[in-house]
Amino acid sequence: MSRPNIGDEYLGGLEKKSIAILREAKAQFSNPAALWSTGKDSTATLWLCKKAFFGKIPFPIIHIDTGCKFPEIYEFRDKLAKEWGFHLIIAKNVEAMKRGVSPEKDRFQCCTLLKTKALKNLLEKEKFDALILAIRRDEHGIRAKERYYSPRDVDFKWNYEDQPAEMWDLYVKPSEDFSHMRIHPILHWTELNVWQYVKQERLPVNPLYFANKGKRYRSLGCQPCTVPIPSNAQTIDEIVKELETSKIPERAGRAQDKEKAYMMQKLRSLGYM
Amino acid sequence: MNLPRINLVVIGHKDHGKSTLIGRLLYDSNAIPEQKLQEVEAELKKAGDEGFRFAFLLDTLEEERRGGLTIDIMQTPFKSKKHLYTIIDCPGHREFIKKMFTGASQADAALLVVSAKEGIQDQTKQHAFLIRTLGIEQLIVAVNKMDEANYEAARFKEICNELLPILNSLDYRVPAIVPLSALKGENVFNRTQKMPWYRGSSLIETLDRTVRSSASPIDKPLRACVQDVYKLESKKVVVCKILTGILEEGEIVNFDPSGEEGLVTGIEMFGKEIERAGPGDSVGLIVNKLREAKRGEVVSYPQNRAKVVRSFVAEMVLFSNIEVRNGDVLIIRCGTAENKCKVQKILERIDPINLTVNAKSPEVLKSGDVGKILFSPLQPMCIEKYSEFPELGRFVVEGKRGTAAAGIVLETHAAGAE
Repeated sequence: MSRPNIGDEYLGGLEKKSIAILREAKAQFSNPAALWSTGKDSTATLWLCKKAFFGKIPFPIIHIDTGCKFPEIYEFRDKLAKEWGFHLIIAKNVEAMKRGVSPEKDRFQCCTLLKTKALKNLLEKEKFDALILAIRRDEHGIRAKERYYSPRDVDFKWNYEDQPAEMWDLYVKPSEDFSHMRIHPILHWTELNVWQYVKQERLPVNPLYFANKGKRYRSLGCQPCTVPIPSNAQTIDEIVKELETSKIPERAGRAQDKEKAYMMQKLRSLGYM
Repeated sequence: MNLPRINLVVIGHKDHGKSTLIGRLLYDSNAIPEQKLQEVEAELKKAGDEGFRFAFLLDTLEEERRGGLTIDIMQTPFKSKKHLYTIIDCPGHREFIKKMFTGASQADAALLVVSAKEGIQDQTKQHAFLIRTLGIEQLIVAVNKMDEANYEAARFKEICNELLPILNSLDYRVPAIVPLSALKGENVFNRTQKMPWYRGSSLIETLDRTVRSSASPIDKPLRACVQDVYKLESKKVVVCKILTGILEEGEIVNFDPSGEEGLVTGIEMFGKEIERAGPGDSVGLIVNKLREAKRGEVVSYPQNRAKVVRSFVAEMVLFSNIEVRNGDVLIIRCGTAENKCKVQKILERIDPINLTVNAKSPEVLKSGDVGKILFSPLQPMCIEKYSEFPELGRFVVEGKRGTAAAGIVLETHAAGAE
């Protein structure tokens, strides 16, 4: 008997697991939402949500807007939200933006206020009990310590030293002790897998990922803190080829990732994505 | 090309060099980007450390690096010629059993690290026992720190002689045992001249040759669990995750424990209809004449139907902050179901270090204990023997803050039968 398949068997295996996780999340939580940066990972995750829920995503999609994203990000965001027809919520820490918080003064504070705090404010208002996030283990050492389901307390803190057990696919349940659950449906994917999937599913991607004058963005963040990498990859195939041989880490162009100050660990323990 | 994936959990007594071995595997397989190596080197220099410590590649938390120990599990991929391995590193400290289980529950195989210098220790035996309890059938042994034992054949043999009876008693019949030095990179990826008495292959060759990814349970009878029920336009779609076997359109299926029955008239995925679905697939079923399907039900065919049990015996490992006594009622999650089950009798407490039964009919099981328990569900429940249907033969016990214990079902007693 032939084995049923969705496209490539390997990617199909990754996809199945992600879809099952998303359906578990929907069944276990009463008010979930998904985070979308407009980047390749979270766009692929939205596509997985569309597949899991037969075309219509049954929860809101949150975009955290720091006010200093690339113009291409805003353009891509508004276009896709319209095409795919989901409920988009934009989270902004207007108060901090007015105060002029910026990375030049203090990068750690800027990320915490404009991203983490903006999300916190929204959660307090909307009472979301689960947040679906497109982080992957291979992105960063600290993200490799994550579970598929990762509870956060009221202060948003991630207690990485004492995470609950996660046995097989019997994920942690909602509890009064947790303010919300972080759910990571593509934790087991790699950067390369995401691009292969983008290709297979013909997903739209932000044009910033493609090379322009010998440089391209490999990971998209805020304009002041994200730099492009040298690259001539102008198509998805060329990106896939580049990644197969690259020796540069994916988030090399992201300032908040620098290992030396353990900045990512500190940001994440406070609730950063 | 995408290589077959193998999840490999690394276990063993603390300080026997697990993190160093993993760091070495990552380094020798070129899994670490140049820039990251430079960052780690700079960090080491700043910390005043001399030389390059492989464990640093793995321990990413500040306190892990400063303290030189692993705090939480870590999953990192590396490639060999044959497989894409995801290596799962677990802390070796006793209080971290739940973390080890979290890591090991995702593994296809285990790599047991034993130091040639220190030899077999309590956690060597305990970890081997625990992963056996979890049902991991593939085990490879690395006898590490051979450089600190003068690369002596006699020392290696001594360890093998002590280890083999233990592993055999756990049903690991002929495990491959590789002598190596993770620090020096000898017999990990590259063979060494330092141990001419050893004619076997390097660790990576051994892994590539012997380890298989878990076979898809396609030939077993059908079992699927209902995740949810969606209403799409006028249709009711029962969303199921298939655990074993093949689900086919046009067949009659049972939903248990409710006992409902219906004809599968369609299997839906987004944007397409399919005729059959297999293990791992999460699909939407359109079922004729279904009154009330709900999350937690088990789907099977009438000719080999999922059994509703009267009682079952399980081996259970208790994590933190839990005690179990006769008569207690626990919330047990299995598949997508959740049931209250009464502890009818604690049958045994097992000593995970000496691998013996250390108490018959004990009064209580405490955190860190492993015990055999007879449970009786307080409401109708489907559960299977682990050896027959692993996904429905394993469960977790719900605690105040998440999972408090995990169990494997050894036997079931069908309702109605004596």
